[in-house]
Amino acid sequence: MIQDVRELWRFRELLWQLVRRDLKVRYKNSKLGFFWSIAPPLMQVACITFVFKYAGFAAHFRSYSAYVLVAIIPWTFFQTAILDASQSILLMYGVIKKVYLPREVVPLSSTIANFIHFLLSWGVFFAYLLLYVRAPILPTIVWFPYLIVVQLVLVTGLSLLVACLNVFYEDVKYITSVLLNLLFFLLPVMYVVEQVYYSPMFAEPGRGWLRALYMVNPMASLINGYRKCLLEPPHPSAIGGHQSLPLDPGNLLLTGAISVAILVGCYAYFNSRKWQFVERP
Amino acid sequence: MHTDAAVTCEDLRKSFVVHHHVYGSLKVAAVNALRRRPREVIEVLKGISLSIPCGQTVAIIGRNGSGKSTFLSLVARVYRPSSGSIVVNGRVAPLLELGAGFHPDLTGLENIELYGSILGMSRREIRERMDAIVAFAFDTPDLAAKVDTPLRNYSEGMKMRLGFSIAVHTEPDILLVDEVLAVGDEAFQAKCFRRIEEVQRQKRTIIFVSHDMNVVQRAASRTIWLDSGIIRMDGATDEVVRSYLAFSGQA
Repeated sequence: MIQDVRELWRFRELLWQLVRRDLKVRYKNSKLGFFWSIAPPLMQVACITFVFKYAGFAAHFRSYSAYVLVAIIPWTFFQTAILDASQSILLMYGVIKKVYLPREVVPLSSTIANFIHFLLSWGVFFAYLLLYVRAPILPTIVWFPYLIVVQLVLVTGLSLLVACLNVFYEDVKYITSVLLNLLFFLLPVMYVVEQVYYSPMFAEPGRGWLRALYMVNPMASLINGYRKCLLEPPHPSAIGGHQSLPLDPGNLLLTGAISVAILVGCYAYFNSRKWQFVERP
Repeated sequence: MHTDAAVTCEDLRKSFVVHHHVYGSLKVAAVNALRRRPREVIEVLKGISLSIPCGQTVAIIGRNGSGKSTFLSLVARVYRPSSGSIVVNGRVAPLLELGAGFHPDLTGLENIELYGSILGMSRREIRERMDAIVAFAFDTPDLAAKVDTPLRNYSEGMKMRLGFSIAVHTEPDILLVDEVLAVGDEAFQAKCFRRIEEVQRQKRTIIFVSHDMNVVQRAASRTIWLDSGIIRMDGATDEVVRSYLAFSGQA
Protein backbone atom coordinates (compact mmCIF):
# COMPACT_ATOMS: atom_id res chain seq x y z
CA MET A 1 0.00 0.00 0.00
CA ILE A 2 2.92 2.37 0.74
CA GLN A 3 4.06 1.87 -2.84
CA ASP A 4 0.59 2.79 -4.08
CA VAL A 5 0.64 5.99 -2.03
CA ARG A 6 4.08 6.88 -3.42
CA GLU A 7 2.85 6.34 -6.99
CA LEU A 8 -0.17 8.51 -6.19
CA TRP A 9 2.15 11.26 -4.94
CA ARG A 10 4.02 11.16 -8.26
CA PHE A 11 0.71 11.92 -9.98
CA ARG A 12 -0.29 14.78 -7.68
CA GLU A 13 -0.26 17.32 -10.52
CA LEU A 14 -2.79 15.28 -12.47
CA LEU A 15 -4.88 14.90 -9.31
CA TRP A 16 -4.90 18.66 -8.90
CA GLN A 17 -5.79 19.22 -12.56
CA LEU A 18 -8.78 16.90 -12.20
CA VAL A 19 -9.90 18.68 -9.03
CA ARG A 20 -9.69 21.98 -10.88
CA ARG A 21 -11.69 20.52 -13.75
CA ASP A 22 -14.46 19.37 -11.39
CA LEU A 23 -14.67 22.73 -9.64
CA LYS A 24 -14.52 24.72 -12.88
CA VAL A 25 -17.27 22.68 -14.48
CA ARG A 26 -19.37 22.87 -11.34
CA TYR A 27 -19.09 26.63 -10.86
CA LYS A 28 -19.02 27.52 -14.51
CA ASN A 29 -22.39 26.16 -15.47
CA SER A 30 -24.18 28.94 -13.67
CA LYS A 31 -23.68 32.66 -13.46
CA LEU A 32 -23.76 32.64 -9.67
CA GLY A 33 -21.23 29.81 -9.45
CA PHE A 34 -20.61 28.77 -5.88
CA PHE A 35 -23.77 30.36 -4.48
CA TRP A 36 -25.94 28.52 -6.93
CA SER A 37 -24.58 25.18 -5.80
CA ILE A 38 -25.14 25.96 -2.13
CA ALA A 39 -28.77 26.93 -2.71
CA PRO A 40 -30.27 23.40 -2.45
CA PRO A 41 -28.94 22.68 1.07
CA LEU A 42 -30.04 26.15 2.20
CA MET A 43 -33.55 25.48 0.94
CA GLN A 44 -33.44 22.16 2.78
CA VAL A 45 -32.55 24.04 5.96
CA ALA A 46 -35.47 26.42 5.43
CA CYS A 47 -37.95 23.58 4.94
CA ILE A 48 -36.74 21.49 7.86
CA THR A 49 -36.78 24.54 10.12
CA PHE A 50 -40.28 25.42 9.03
CA VAL A 51 -41.67 21.93 9.57
CA PHE A 52 -39.98 21.28 12.87
CA LYS A 53 -40.76 24.65 14.33
CA TYR A 54 -44.35 24.80 13.19
CA ALA A 55 -45.20 21.12 13.62
CA GLY A 56 -44.00 21.54 17.16
CA PHE A 57 -41.08 19.09 17.39
CA ALA A 58 -38.68 21.93 17.96
CA ALA A 59 -41.00 24.74 18.98
CA HIS A 60 -38.92 25.82 21.97
CA PHE A 61 -35.63 26.16 20.14
CA ARG A 62 -33.97 29.52 19.70
CA SER A 63 -32.65 29.82 16.12
CA TYR A 64 -33.32 26.20 15.20
CA SER A 65 -32.12 26.94 11.66
CA ALA A 66 -28.53 27.24 12.93
CA TYR A 67 -28.74 23.74 14.43
CA VAL A 68 -29.98 22.39 11.12
CA LEU A 69 -27.48 24.30 8.99
CA VAL A 70 -24.51 23.09 11.03
CA ALA A 71 -25.61 19.52 10.29
CA ILE A 72 -26.72 19.95 6.68
CA ILE A 73 -23.28 21.13 5.55
CA PRO A 74 -21.40 17.97 6.61
CA TRP A 75 -24.32 15.81 5.49
CA THR A 76 -24.33 17.36 2.02
CA PHE A 77 -20.59 16.76 1.70
CA PHE A 78 -21.00 13.15 2.80
CA GLN A 79 -23.87 12.45 0.42
CA THR A 80 -22.62 14.31 -2.67
CA ALA A 81 -19.05 13.13 -2.38
CA ILE A 82 -20.03 9.47 -2.17
CA LEU A 83 -22.57 9.69 -5.00
CA ASP A 84 -20.15 11.61 -7.25
CA ALA A 85 -17.38 9.12 -6.53
CA SER A 86 -19.63 6.19 -7.38
CA GLN A 87 -19.88 7.37 -10.98
CA SER A 88 -16.41 8.86 -11.30
CA ILE A 89 -14.55 5.89 -12.72
CA LEU A 90 -17.13 5.02 -15.34
CA LEU A 91 -17.20 8.67 -16.46
CA MET A 92 -13.45 8.48 -17.06
CA TYR A 93 -13.56 4.95 -18.42
CA GLY A 94 -12.49 6.00 -21.90
CA VAL A 95 -9.29 7.48 -20.48
CA ILE A 96 -8.58 4.65 -18.05
CA LYS A 97 -8.77 2.11 -20.87
CA LYS A 98 -6.13 3.95 -22.86
CA VAL A 99 -3.75 5.76 -20.54
CA TYR A 100 -1.83 4.64 -17.50
CA LEU A 101 -2.65 6.54 -14.33
CA PRO A 102 -3.11 5.40 -10.75
CA ARG A 103 -6.81 4.56 -10.71
CA GLU A 104 -7.44 6.13 -7.33
CA VAL A 105 -6.69 9.55 -8.83
CA VAL A 106 -10.17 9.55 -10.35
CA PRO A 107 -12.40 9.03 -7.27
CA LEU A 108 -9.97 11.04 -5.13
CA SER A 109 -10.17 14.07 -7.39
CA SER A 110 -13.96 13.99 -7.20
CA THR A 111 -13.82 13.70 -3.40
CA ILE A 112 -11.29 16.52 -3.05
CA ALA A 113 -13.37 18.82 -5.26
CA ASN A 114 -16.37 18.14 -3.02
CA PHE A 115 -14.19 18.70 0.04
CA ILE A 116 -13.14 22.14 -1.20
CA HIS A 117 -16.78 22.98 -1.79
CA PHE A 118 -17.51 21.76 1.74
CA LEU A 119 -14.84 24.05 3.20
CA LEU A 120 -16.26 27.05 1.30
CA SER A 121 -19.75 26.19 2.54
CA TRP A 122 -18.64 26.74 6.12
CA GLY A 123 -18.19 30.39 5.18
CA VAL A 124 -21.95 30.58 4.72
CA PHE A 125 -22.51 29.01 8.13
CA PHE A 126 -20.17 31.38 9.93
CA ALA A 127 -21.62 34.40 8.17
CA TYR A 128 -25.08 33.27 9.27
CA LEU A 129 -23.93 32.56 12.80
CA LEU A 130 -22.09 35.83 13.36
CA LEU A 131 -24.20 38.27 11.36
CA TYR A 132 -27.72 36.93 11.76
CA VAL A 133 -27.90 34.73 14.86
CA ARG A 134 -25.21 36.87 16.53
CA ALA A 135 -24.00 33.91 18.56
CA PRO A 136 -20.51 33.83 20.02
CA ILE A 137 -17.70 31.53 18.82
CA LEU A 138 -17.22 28.89 21.53
CA PRO A 139 -13.82 27.71 22.82
CA THR A 140 -14.78 24.17 21.78
CA ILE A 141 -14.13 25.31 18.20
CA VAL A 142 -10.66 23.81 18.67
CA TRP A 143 -12.34 20.50 17.79
CA PHE A 144 -13.58 21.84 14.47
CA PRO A 145 -10.42 21.16 12.38
CA TYR A 146 -10.20 17.67 13.87
CA LEU A 147 -13.79 16.90 12.83
CA ILE A 148 -13.16 18.16 9.31
CA VAL A 149 -10.09 15.98 8.88
CA VAL A 150 -11.83 12.91 10.32
CA GLN A 151 -14.78 13.43 8.00
CA LEU A 152 -12.46 13.75 5.00
CA VAL A 153 -10.82 10.46 5.98
CA LEU A 154 -14.18 8.73 6.38
CA VAL A 155 -15.63 10.08 3.12
CA THR A 156 -12.46 9.24 1.16
CA GLY A 157 -12.57 5.65 2.37
CA LEU A 158 -16.22 5.14 1.50
CA SER A 159 -15.79 6.92 -1.85
CA LEU A 160 -13.02 4.53 -2.86
CA LEU A 161 -15.17 1.54 -1.92
CA VAL A 162 -18.28 2.71 -3.76
CA ALA A 163 -16.30 3.87 -6.82
CA CYS A 164 -14.63 0.47 -7.09
CA LEU A 165 -17.79 -1.58 -6.62
CA ASN A 166 -19.72 0.49 -9.15
CA VAL A 167 -17.24 -0.44 -11.89
CA PHE A 168 -18.22 -4.08 -11.59
CA TYR A 169 -21.82 -3.72 -10.49
CA GLU A 170 -23.48 -0.71 -12.02
CA ASP A 171 -26.48 -0.86 -9.71
CA VAL A 172 -24.27 -0.02 -6.72
CA LYS A 173 -24.84 3.64 -7.57
CA TYR A 174 -28.60 3.26 -7.10
CA ILE A 175 -28.28 1.09 -4.02
CA THR A 176 -25.95 3.69 -2.49
CA SER A 177 -28.40 6.44 -3.22
CA VAL A 178 -31.23 4.53 -1.51
CA LEU A 179 -29.06 3.74 1.50
CA LEU A 180 -28.02 7.39 1.79
CA ASN A 181 -31.64 8.48 1.78
CA LEU A 182 -32.36 6.08 4.63
CA LEU A 183 -29.25 7.10 6.54
CA PHE A 184 -30.42 10.72 6.50
CA PHE A 185 -33.18 9.81 8.96
CA LEU A 186 -30.81 7.90 11.22
CA LEU A 187 -28.54 10.89 11.65
CA PRO A 188 -29.21 13.85 13.93
CA VAL A 189 -29.64 16.30 11.06
CA MET A 190 -33.32 17.25 11.31
CA TYR A 191 -33.41 16.72 15.06
CA VAL A 192 -30.85 16.97 17.85
CA VAL A 193 -29.21 13.94 19.40
CA GLU A 194 -30.81 14.52 22.83
CA GLN A 195 -34.24 13.82 21.37
CA VAL A 196 -33.08 10.30 20.56
CA TYR A 197 -30.79 9.81 23.51
CA TYR A 198 -33.47 10.55 26.12
CA SER A 199 -36.19 8.69 24.26
CA PRO A 200 -38.34 6.63 26.65
CA MET A 201 -38.01 3.74 24.20
CA PHE A 202 -34.41 3.23 25.27
CA ALA A 203 -35.41 3.06 28.93
CA GLU A 204 -36.96 -0.36 28.34
CA PRO A 205 -34.67 -3.24 29.30
CA GLY A 206 -32.46 -4.69 26.57
CA ARG A 207 -32.52 -1.58 24.40
CA GLY A 208 -29.28 -0.01 25.63
CA TRP A 209 -27.21 -1.55 22.81
CA LEU A 210 -29.43 0.16 20.24
CA ARG A 211 -28.65 3.54 21.71
CA ALA A 212 -24.94 2.70 21.87
CA LEU A 213 -25.08 1.67 18.22
CA TYR A 214 -26.75 4.95 17.28
CA MET A 215 -24.06 6.95 19.07
CA VAL A 216 -21.12 5.00 17.64
CA ASN A 217 -22.13 5.56 13.99
CA PRO A 218 -19.22 7.71 12.79
CA MET A 219 -21.40 10.09 10.78
CA ALA A 220 -23.85 10.59 13.69
CA SER A 221 -20.89 11.21 15.95
CA LEU A 222 -19.40 13.77 13.54
CA ILE A 223 -22.62 15.69 12.99
CA ASN A 224 -23.22 15.76 16.72
CA GLY A 225 -19.61 16.86 17.18
CA TYR A 226 -19.96 19.82 14.78
CA ARG A 227 -23.07 20.92 16.62
CA LYS A 228 -21.50 20.68 20.05
CA CYS A 229 -18.32 22.46 19.12
CA LEU A 230 -19.90 25.35 17.20
CA LEU A 231 -23.24 26.03 18.89
CA GLU A 232 -24.37 26.57 22.45
CA PRO A 233 -26.28 23.60 23.88
CA PRO A 234 -30.06 23.87 23.49
CA HIS A 235 -31.95 25.04 26.57
CA PRO A 236 -33.38 22.13 28.65
CA SER A 237 -36.91 23.41 27.94
CA ALA A 238 -36.34 22.70 24.22
CA ILE A 239 -35.41 19.07 24.79
CA GLY A 240 -38.04 17.92 27.22
CA GLY A 241 -36.39 19.22 30.37
CA HIS A 242 -33.26 17.06 30.00
CA GLN A 243 -29.72 18.28 30.38
CA SER A 244 -28.07 18.66 26.97
CA LEU A 245 -25.24 16.22 26.35
CA PRO A 246 -21.74 17.69 26.52
CA LEU A 247 -19.16 17.30 23.75
CA ASP A 248 -17.76 13.79 24.21
CA PRO A 249 -14.03 13.62 23.37
CA GLY A 250 -13.90 9.84 23.87
CA ASN A 251 -16.66 9.30 21.30
CA LEU A 252 -14.94 11.66 18.81
CA LEU A 253 -11.57 9.93 19.18
CA LEU A 254 -13.25 6.58 18.62
CA THR A 255 -14.84 8.00 15.46
CA GLY A 256 -11.40 9.11 14.29
CA ALA A 257 -10.04 5.59 14.81
CA ILE A 258 -13.01 3.99 13.02
CA SER A 259 -12.62 6.40 10.09
CA VAL A 260 -8.91 5.64 9.67
CA ALA A 261 -9.70 1.92 9.77
CA ILE A 262 -12.39 2.38 7.11
CA LEU A 263 -10.00 4.33 4.87
CA VAL A 264 -7.20 1.77 5.19
CA GLY A 265 -9.57 -1.15 4.61
CA CYS A 266 -11.31 0.43 1.63
CA TYR A 267 -8.05 1.56 0.02
CA ALA A 268 -6.64 -1.94 0.37
CA TYR A 269 -9.74 -3.36 -1.27
CA PHE A 270 -9.58 -0.75 -4.05
CA ASN A 271 -5.94 -1.60 -4.73
CA SER A 272 -6.70 -5.30 -4.89
CA ARG A 273 -9.19 -4.71 -7.70
CA LYS A 274 -8.01 -1.59 -9.52
CA TRP A 275 -6.17 -3.44 -12.29
CA GLN A 276 -9.30 -5.36 -13.17
CA PHE A 277 -11.26 -2.18 -13.93
CA VAL A 278 -10.28 -2.30 -17.61
CA GLU A 279 -11.25 -5.97 -17.84
CA ARG A 280 -14.70 -5.64 -16.38
CA PRO A 281 -17.44 -7.67 -18.04
CA MET B 1 18.71 -7.90 -22.41
CA HIS B 2 19.65 -4.55 -23.95
CA THR B 3 20.08 -1.63 -21.68
CA ASP B 4 19.05 0.69 -24.50
CA ALA B 5 15.81 -1.17 -25.22
CA ALA B 6 12.60 0.84 -25.11
CA VAL B 7 10.42 -2.23 -24.73
CA THR B 8 11.49 -5.73 -23.77
CA CYS B 9 9.13 -8.61 -23.26
CA GLU B 10 9.80 -12.14 -22.22
CA ASP B 11 7.15 -14.82 -22.85
CA LEU B 12 4.42 -12.20 -22.44
CA ARG B 13 0.94 -13.65 -22.04
CA LYS B 14 -2.43 -12.05 -21.52
CA SER B 15 -5.72 -13.82 -20.87
CA PHE B 16 -9.20 -12.48 -20.40
CA VAL B 17 -12.21 -14.00 -18.74
CA VAL B 18 -15.10 -14.22 -21.16
CA HIS B 19 -18.48 -13.43 -19.69
CA HIS B 20 -21.22 -14.94 -21.78
CA HIS B 21 -23.79 -13.55 -19.43
CA VAL B 22 -23.44 -9.91 -18.67
CA TYR B 23 -23.36 -9.42 -14.93
CA GLY B 24 -22.98 -5.71 -14.59
CA SER B 25 -25.17 -5.59 -11.51
CA LEU B 26 -25.18 -6.95 -8.00
CA LYS B 27 -28.61 -8.41 -8.61
CA VAL B 28 -27.49 -10.57 -11.52
CA ALA B 29 -24.21 -11.41 -9.81
CA ALA B 30 -26.14 -12.76 -6.84
CA VAL B 31 -28.33 -14.91 -9.11
CA ASN B 32 -25.30 -16.18 -11.03
CA ALA B 33 -23.47 -17.06 -7.83
CA LEU B 34 -26.25 -19.53 -7.09
CA ARG B 35 -26.13 -21.08 -10.55
CA ARG B 36 -22.33 -21.37 -10.74
CA ARG B 37 -21.45 -20.96 -14.37
CA PRO B 38 -18.01 -22.15 -15.42
CA ARG B 39 -15.68 -19.31 -16.35
CA GLU B 40 -14.16 -19.38 -19.78
CA VAL B 41 -10.71 -17.89 -20.22
CA ILE B 42 -9.25 -16.96 -23.57
CA GLU B 43 -5.57 -16.28 -24.10
CA VAL B 44 -5.14 -13.31 -26.42
CA LEU B 45 -1.34 -13.15 -26.32
CA LYS B 46 0.34 -16.53 -26.15
CA GLY B 47 3.93 -15.89 -25.24
CA ILE B 48 5.46 -12.88 -26.98
CA SER B 49 9.21 -12.35 -26.65
CA LEU B 50 10.77 -9.37 -28.34
CA SER B 51 12.92 -6.35 -27.83
CA ILE B 52 12.41 -2.95 -29.40
CA PRO B 53 15.49 -0.74 -29.27
CA CYS B 54 15.15 2.98 -28.57
CA GLY B 55 14.52 5.07 -31.67
CA GLN B 56 13.04 2.31 -33.78
CA THR B 57 9.71 2.64 -35.57
CA VAL B 58 7.85 -0.65 -35.45
CA ALA B 59 4.59 -1.51 -37.17
CA ILE B 60 2.37 -4.26 -35.85
CA ILE B 61 0.12 -5.92 -38.39
CA GLY B 62 -2.24 -8.85 -38.32
CA ARG B 63 -5.87 -9.76 -38.70
CA ASN B 64 -8.58 -8.49 -36.36
CA GLY B 65 -8.38 -10.24 -33.02
CA SER B 66 -4.75 -11.19 -33.39
CA GLY B 67 -3.76 -9.28 -30.24
CA LYS B 68 -2.33 -6.05 -31.69
CA SER B 69 -4.29 -3.65 -29.51
CA THR B 70 -3.84 -5.84 -26.44
CA PHE B 71 -0.10 -5.62 -27.00
CA LEU B 72 -0.22 -1.82 -27.24
CA SER B 73 -2.30 -1.67 -24.05
CA LEU B 74 0.31 -3.77 -22.27
CA VAL B 75 3.04 -1.36 -23.41
CA ALA B 76 0.88 1.53 -22.18
CA ARG B 77 0.61 -0.23 -18.77
CA VAL B 78 -3.18 -0.24 -19.00
CA TYR B 79 -3.22 -4.03 -18.71
CA ARG B 80 -1.13 -6.14 -16.41
CA PRO B 81 0.38 -9.25 -18.03
CA SER B 82 -1.15 -12.57 -16.99
CA SER B 83 2.33 -14.07 -17.00
CA GLY B 84 5.72 -13.29 -18.42
CA SER B 85 7.26 -9.85 -18.22
CA ILE B 86 7.27 -6.56 -20.03
CA VAL B 87 9.74 -3.78 -19.27
CA VAL B 88 9.09 -0.32 -20.68
CA ASN B 89 11.71 2.40 -20.42
CA GLY B 90 10.58 5.99 -20.66
CA ARG B 91 7.41 7.99 -20.93
CA VAL B 92 4.68 6.46 -23.07
CA ALA B 93 2.08 8.58 -24.85
CA PRO B 94 -0.76 6.73 -26.46
CA LEU B 95 -2.36 8.20 -29.54
CA LEU B 96 -5.38 6.00 -29.08
CA GLU B 97 -8.95 7.18 -29.44
CA LEU B 98 -8.03 10.81 -29.30
CA GLY B 99 -9.78 13.11 -26.95
CA ALA B 100 -11.22 10.56 -24.54
CA GLY B 101 -10.20 12.87 -21.69
CA PHE B 102 -11.81 16.01 -23.04
CA HIS B 103 -14.59 17.74 -21.18
CA PRO B 104 -17.24 19.46 -23.32
CA ASP B 105 -17.87 22.31 -20.87
CA LEU B 106 -14.27 23.44 -20.72
CA THR B 107 -12.61 25.62 -23.33
CA GLY B 108 -10.00 24.36 -25.77
CA LEU B 109 -7.20 25.87 -23.69
CA GLU B 110 -8.50 24.35 -20.46
CA ASN B 111 -8.80 21.00 -22.19
CA ILE B 112 -5.19 21.22 -23.35
CA GLU B 113 -4.14 21.63 -19.72
CA LEU B 114 -6.33 18.73 -18.63
CA TYR B 115 -5.50 16.28 -21.41
CA GLY B 116 -1.82 17.23 -21.27
CA SER B 117 -1.63 16.30 -17.60
CA ILE B 118 -3.54 13.07 -18.23
CA LEU B 119 -0.80 12.22 -20.74
CA GLY B 120 1.82 12.97 -18.11
CA MET B 121 2.99 16.50 -18.87
CA SER B 122 3.87 18.79 -16.00
CA ARG B 123 2.17 22.16 -15.76
CA ARG B 124 5.35 23.95 -16.75
CA GLU B 125 5.70 21.79 -19.87
CA ILE B 126 2.09 22.45 -20.82
CA ARG B 127 2.51 26.20 -20.44
CA GLU B 128 5.67 26.17 -22.55
CA ARG B 129 4.09 24.16 -25.37
CA MET B 130 0.62 25.68 -25.30
CA ASP B 131 1.23 27.96 -28.28
CA ALA B 132 2.78 25.20 -30.35
CA ILE B 133 -0.13 22.86 -29.60
CA VAL B 134 -2.71 25.46 -30.61
CA ALA B 135 -0.77 26.45 -33.73
CA PHE B 136 -0.42 22.82 -34.81
CA ALA B 137 -4.09 21.97 -34.32
CA PHE B 138 -5.62 25.14 -35.71
CA ASP B 139 -3.75 26.59 -38.62
CA THR B 140 -6.33 29.09 -39.80
CA PRO B 141 -7.17 32.23 -37.79
CA ASP B 142 -10.91 31.50 -37.62
CA LEU B 143 -10.22 28.07 -36.10
CA ALA B 144 -7.65 29.48 -33.70
CA ALA B 145 -10.17 32.06 -32.55
CA LYS B 146 -12.31 29.24 -31.19
CA VAL B 147 -9.68 28.05 -28.76
CA ASP B 148 -11.19 29.84 -25.77
CA THR B 149 -14.74 28.66 -26.38
CA PRO B 150 -16.20 25.50 -24.80
CA LEU B 151 -15.33 22.27 -26.55
CA ARG B 152 -18.94 21.40 -27.25
CA ASN B 153 -18.86 24.02 -30.02
CA TYR B 154 -16.12 22.06 -31.78
CA SER B 155 -16.68 19.70 -34.67
CA GLU B 156 -15.51 16.09 -34.31
CA GLY B 157 -12.67 16.82 -36.69
CA MET B 158 -11.46 19.75 -34.62
CA LYS B 159 -11.51 17.67 -31.44
CA MET B 160 -9.43 15.00 -33.11
CA ARG B 161 -6.94 17.55 -34.39
CA LEU B 162 -6.59 19.00 -30.91
CA GLY B 163 -6.16 15.53 -29.40
CA PHE B 164 -3.48 14.58 -31.90
CA SER B 165 -1.70 17.85 -31.41
CA ILE B 166 -1.54 17.46 -27.62
CA ALA B 167 -0.35 13.85 -27.84
CA VAL B 168 2.51 14.55 -30.23
CA HIS B 169 3.61 17.55 -28.18
CA THR B 170 4.02 15.50 -24.99
CA GLU B 171 7.41 14.56 -26.47
CA PRO B 172 7.14 10.98 -25.25
CA ASP B 173 9.98 8.48 -25.33
CA ILE B 174 7.58 5.97 -26.83
CA LEU B 175 4.64 6.96 -29.00
CA LEU B 176 1.83 4.44 -29.45
CA VAL B 177 -0.41 4.87 -32.47
CA ASP B 178 -3.49 2.73 -32.97
CA GLU B 179 -5.12 3.19 -36.39
CA VAL B 180 -5.69 6.88 -35.96
CA LEU B 181 -3.66 8.37 -38.76
CA ALA B 182 -6.90 8.96 -40.58
CA VAL B 183 -7.34 12.24 -38.70
CA GLY B 184 -8.77 15.31 -40.32
CA ASP B 185 -8.50 16.44 -43.91
CA GLU B 186 -5.69 15.62 -46.29
CA ALA B 187 -3.62 18.67 -45.43
CA PHE B 188 -3.79 17.80 -41.76
CA GLN B 189 -2.89 14.17 -42.41
CA ALA B 190 0.20 15.24 -44.32
CA LYS B 191 1.09 17.46 -41.39
CA CYS B 192 0.66 14.55 -38.96
CA PHE B 193 3.02 12.48 -41.07
CA ARG B 194 5.63 15.22 -41.08
CA ARG B 195 5.31 15.45 -37.33
CA ILE B 196 5.71 11.69 -36.94
CA GLU B 197 8.80 11.78 -39.14
CA GLU B 198 10.13 14.55 -36.94
CA VAL B 199 9.54 12.35 -33.90
CA GLN B 200 11.47 9.59 -35.72
CA ARG B 201 14.37 11.94 -36.38
CA GLN B 202 14.45 12.83 -32.69
CA LYS B 203 15.29 9.17 -32.09
CA ARG B 204 12.10 8.42 -30.25
CA THR B 205 10.45 5.03 -30.40
CA ILE B 206 7.16 4.63 -32.26
CA ILE B 207 4.99 1.53 -32.13
CA PHE B 208 1.95 1.60 -34.34
CA VAL B 209 -0.85 -0.65 -35.43
CA SER B 210 -2.23 -0.33 -38.92
CA HIS B 211 -4.10 -2.20 -41.59
CA ASP B 212 -2.92 0.23 -44.23
CA MET B 213 0.16 -1.35 -45.79
CA ASN B 214 1.09 1.89 -47.56
CA VAL B 215 1.37 3.61 -44.19
CA VAL B 216 3.34 0.67 -42.78
CA GLN B 217 5.81 0.69 -45.66
CA ARG B 218 6.20 4.41 -45.57
CA ALA B 219 6.80 4.79 -41.83
CA ALA B 220 8.19 1.60 -40.32
CA SER B 221 11.59 0.02 -40.69
CA ARG B 222 10.59 -3.10 -38.83
CA THR B 223 7.28 -4.93 -38.86
CA ILE B 224 5.88 -7.55 -36.53
CA TRP B 225 3.10 -9.79 -37.82
CA LEU B 226 0.87 -11.12 -35.06
CA ASP B 227 -1.33 -14.10 -35.74
CA SER B 228 -3.70 -15.45 -33.06
CA GLY B 229 -1.52 -14.16 -30.26
CA ILE B 230 1.89 -15.33 -31.43
CA ILE B 231 4.56 -13.65 -33.52
CA ARG B 232 4.20 -15.10 -37.01
CA MET B 233 7.01 -13.04 -38.45
CA ASP B 234 9.32 -10.28 -37.28
CA GLY B 235 11.74 -8.50 -39.56
CA ALA B 236 12.34 -5.86 -42.22
CA THR B 237 9.09 -4.22 -43.28
CA ASP B 238 9.24 -5.06 -47.00
CA GLU B 239 9.74 -8.73 -46.37
CA VAL B 240 7.06 -9.08 -43.68
CA VAL B 241 4.49 -7.06 -45.60
CA ARG B 242 5.10 -9.15 -48.74
CA SER B 243 4.52 -12.42 -46.85
CA TYR B 244 1.51 -10.99 -45.05
CA LEU B 245 -0.11 -9.84 -48.29
CA ALA B 246 0.61 -13.17 -49.95
CA PHE B 247 -0.94 -14.95 -46.98
CA SER B 248 -4.00 -12.69 -46.85
CA GLY B 249 -4.46 -13.03 -50.60
CA GLN B 250 -4.76 -16.78 -50.52
CA ALA B 251 -6.88 -16.87 -47.38
